[in-house]
Amino acid sequence: MSVMRLGYVQVRVTDLDQARSHYMDTLGMQVVHEEAGKIFLKAWDEYDHHSVVLEAGGVGLVKLGYKCESQDDLARYERNAIDFGCLTERVSSGENKAVGEGVRVILPSDHVVELYAEMELVGTATGVLNPAPIPRHRTGIGVPRLDHALITCEDPETEERFFAECLGFRPAERLISDFAEVDLLGSWMFCSNTPHDIAFIKGPNGKLHHFAYSAADWNAIKYASQLLAIDDVPVDVGPAQHGITRGETVYFFDPSGNRNEIFSGGYMTFPDFPTITWTADQLAKGIFYMGSELNERFTTVLT
Amino acid sequence: MLGALRRSGYTHRFGCRRGGCGVCRVTVVSGHARYPTEVSEQVLDPTERTAGVWLSCRSVPVTDVVIELDPGDRLSCYAPLLVNHGPRMKEQG
Repeated sequence: MSVMRLGYVQVRVTDLDQARSHYMDTLGMQVVHEEAGKIFLKAWDEYDHHSVVLEAGGVGLVKLGYKCESQDDLARYERNAIDFGCLTERVSSGENKAVGEGVRVILPSDHVVELYAEMELVGTATGVLNPAPIPRHRTGIGVPRLDHALITCEDPETEERFFAECLGFRPAERLISDFAEVDLLGSWMFCSNTPHDIAFIKGPNGKLHHFAYSAADWNAIKYASQLLAIDDVPVDVGPAQHGITRGETVYFFDPSGNRNEIFSGGYMTFPDFPTITWTADQLAKGIFYMGSELNERFTTVLT
Repeated sequence: MLGALRRSGYTHRFGCRRGGCGVCRVTVVSGHARYPTEVSEQVLDPTERTAGVWLSCRSVPVTDVVIELDPGDRLSCYAPLLVNHGPRMKEQG
């Protein structure tokens, strides 16, 4: 089996209390656990223990956690990563709060990914018996779940090969320089049925462009954008629609400058999905189809 | 500083507006400023701070300040309507 999904994102925040307010009051996540310098949160429609970990001090990405189906899968991915030439390390059960035994992999881009197969089950806000379609008491935007992350890397070609060969991801969409001299500038890859579970664009190694939450639809994006304005959250771009992934979007910054996205729509993917290609001359349309304009910030502002 | 510029109808290059990306760095040539919220050393290291580099999005002037923009950055007027209605500002060079 392939990797199941992006399970959690661990980011550094400069001020833990401001971050708590953003992720709880504005986004509507719930705190499930706290320890010195760390806050663990989950969204209402997630059943695992947590999906976001805030770590005090600095900015940017600590690691991405991808959930796999079994210990056998972990062992297989570990072997693949070693054969690929990546540094790997076993993570013991409990080293990450509520997370079972895992495998830490340093990606070709220096980002840290941890693969795991078990996380403590907490349950969604609506439960599994005759559930209501929404929780009775939502806070703020009320994000239902984590969706994907976009990182930057110096060598997208190698990064794509790693995710494909070692972890079984497939490219839904690729951004290339042009057909005369194909240089890969970005790749949007899936392991589930969404357009992307990981994406990367060319840029410095080790950096985070954004991580995204899912939303029900375009109206939810509008509602989220209204709340962002009420709470004076700096919006980067949106509400808008992507050409790449076809998703609807609003991008904004948390109190430490880490970029968040609320993402809805997009098509479904399957193992036989034919990869879509975008050429660099159509980049603005690829990123923001309507308006077709890229601000300077979008490809350069990273944490 | 960035807020004051923008209230005056002007802007310069900025990014996240939350002190995380370091895109809005400027040099304070004279005057004093402070940060009401912490700016990470990962974004602005002590050497830069000693050299008078500040993030315009997170810094608040405590006196009149003169700032210098980085090469490649420039002051631009995005809302002529606001010019002369915001904080006191003078452009040099």
